[in-house]
Amino acid sequence: MEFFFQQLTNGLAVGGIYALIALGYTMVYGVLKLINFAHGDLFMIGAYLGLTLLTALGLADYLSPFCVIALLAVMVLILVAILGVVLERVAYRPLRQAHRLSAVVSALGASIFFQNIVMLIYGAKFQVYPHDLMPRTVVHIFGMPVPLIRILILLASVVMMVALYTFIQRTKVGTAIRAAAIDQGAARLMGINVDRVIALVFVIGPALGGAAGLMVGIYYGQINFTMGWIYGLKAFTAAILGGIGNIPGAMVGGLMLGLIEAFAAAYLSVAWKDAFAFCVLILILIVRPTGLLGERVAEKV
Amino acid sequence: MGKRFITGMAVVFALLLCVQPVMAADTIKIGLMAPLTGAWASEGQDMKQIVDLLAEELNAKGGLLGKKVEIISEDDGGDPKTAALAAQRLSNSGVVAVIGTYGSSVTEASQAIYDEAKIMQIANGSTAIRLSEKGLKNFLRTCPRDDEQGNVAAKTVVGMGFKNIAILHDNTSYAKGLADEAKGLLEKQPVKIVFYDALTPGERDYNTILTKIKAAKPDVVLFTGYYPEAGLLLRQKMEMGWNVPFIGGDATNNPDLVKIAGAKAAEGYYFLSPPVPQDLDTKAAKDFMSAFKKKYNAEPGSVWAVLAGDGFNAVAAAIKGSGSTETAKMVAYLKTQLKDLPGLTGNISFDDKGDRVGDLYRVYRVDASGKFVLQP
Repeated sequence: MEFFFQQLTNGLAVGGIYALIALGYTMVYGVLKLINFAHGDLFMIGAYLGLTLLTALGLADYLSPFCVIALLAVMVLILVAILGVVLERVAYRPLRQAHRLSAVVSALGASIFFQNIVMLIYGAKFQVYPHDLMPRTVVHIFGMPVPLIRILILLASVVMMVALYTFIQRTKVGTAIRAAAIDQGAARLMGINVDRVIALVFVIGPALGGAAGLMVGIYYGQINFTMGWIYGLKAFTAAILGGIGNIPGAMVGGLMLGLIEAFAAAYLSVAWKDAFAFCVLILILIVRPTGLLGERVAEKV
Repeated sequence: MGKRFITGMAVVFALLLCVQPVMAADTIKIGLMAPLTGAWASEGQDMKQIVDLLAEELNAKGGLLGKKVEIISEDDGGDPKTAALAAQRLSNSGVVAVIGTYGSSVTEASQAIYDEAKIMQIANGSTAIRLSEKGLKNFLRTCPRDDEQGNVAAKTVVGMGFKNIAILHDNTSYAKGLADEAKGLLEKQPVKIVFYDALTPGERDYNTILTKIKAAKPDVVLFTGYYPEAGLLLRQKMEMGWNVPFIGGDATNNPDLVKIAGAKAAEGYYFLSPPVPQDLDTKAAKDFMSAFKKKYNAEPGSVWAVLAGDGFNAVAAAIKGSGSTETAKMVAYLKTQLKDLPGLTGNISFDDKGDRVGDLYRVYRVDASGKFVLQP
């Protein structure tokens, strides 16, 4: 039983990060019907920016660990959001009217660009966050030792997801985003500035990705310039699993993917966990082609 | 007058005929094929420095069979095509044996050429198993084979008294090969393999795998992959509060391991690796170190270049021991009579296939400050 709960927390910790990254994919897809392949690399850049700011500003010397992380998070969120907006302006907006494939190719190009520029700036070697940044506290839940930082990461992910969900559902701007996702032309007729909505989507999505990158950096310590690829792939899978374009779907999909992986590794084989996760994805897509929470969209006639 | 002239000419010709072979046999020529240029140039340059130094020392002591030793170097560029040409040139230059080279594919391109020319070849960095499985009589090597490490890993684990063993690899051909080799050997021992599986390299979170291994209750975990994953495993293992010992293969011999894991988590980690002479306290290794520092004012580089020096020592021992420079006799001496020649990387002996046997791999342990310490 303890084994089961251990694996449950393992799966939730990994899944929480998948979910945060998946939100970026799903938001962009929802509004633009574009798969932003550079999203995983924005996540990676978040991790690198966090490390750079941490070492350059020397915050850890005179602030408590939680203040440091909160401050870092704010700065990384802002910087990655700026990068996201620039990415949209340079790589996607000029192709808005072009064929959808052109934008996908542009996204792949942006991904390669980000990876290589980080490699050129920081080098190809692994970079490491300082080890003593966070106190390694362990809390006991039902007599089971769980590192505090894992709970905090999961909590932070959930808080950000819920905040985003409320923002989209309850505010005027959120309504504008939903409207643009359903029909850009009609939204424009209703007086919504669609370009601004899209820019906003590229603020929120990359910012969440950057936050996930910072969390991975702080928690796992080791980062390198190719890390965006594997996380991006998993998060993309999570977004599809939950129904791409759907925000609660991305959260459910991310957490589910993490859990499936953890339990496949625990009760089947570690080497086969990815294969098993993708089998589940295929099964779900056969039964529900739009994903778990995806809405059925009728073809326009 | 005419008769005298003819006699004189005959004497001169006779002398010339005599002189020619005497001149040729004045030195013993030993070839060195090394990547002096190209991607592995640093290895090749080190190889040449080391072999030149050893030849110089040997000549100062009087050489071999009363003759001086002469090193003839050819550049293989770290490339099979260049190596084939280098091998042909060396074959035609009257060398009695060739030392080299570094890369397995490069060595492979030259093997047949030396075999046809009946010249003994002693490779120094080519670890691919197949090189010595082709039945080439005159091929030997001073480096271990890829399967030797598995053997040593199994022996080390058993020798440390562990009973329940977990084996973890990362599905790369190197790591899986090593894991399979060790598993096969351990199954014949009175120990239990309680876990055998692979992780996905490049991920960050290995808690799931660690939790699973922990549930199998091993005394020790043998990880055969590379240092980035080893560092994360050590770190996450410590965070789980689980202090099982980890043993790794030579792909984890990298200072970045400690950077990733942190000195506290890395402390007590064991790994296998061939030793560099800096770490050996045999007389041969110490003498070589001081001579090398004196001549080049630096420390020798990787272990693979040092193994070229051991190749030279083996050739010298073969000529001295067999009292001849005939290939068949030298090879027979090295394979059947040579036992525990004190080399720069420990004792040297060869088996029937020409592979080095004996204790090349050493066990290193990471100490509290993150340094790699050779274990006795």
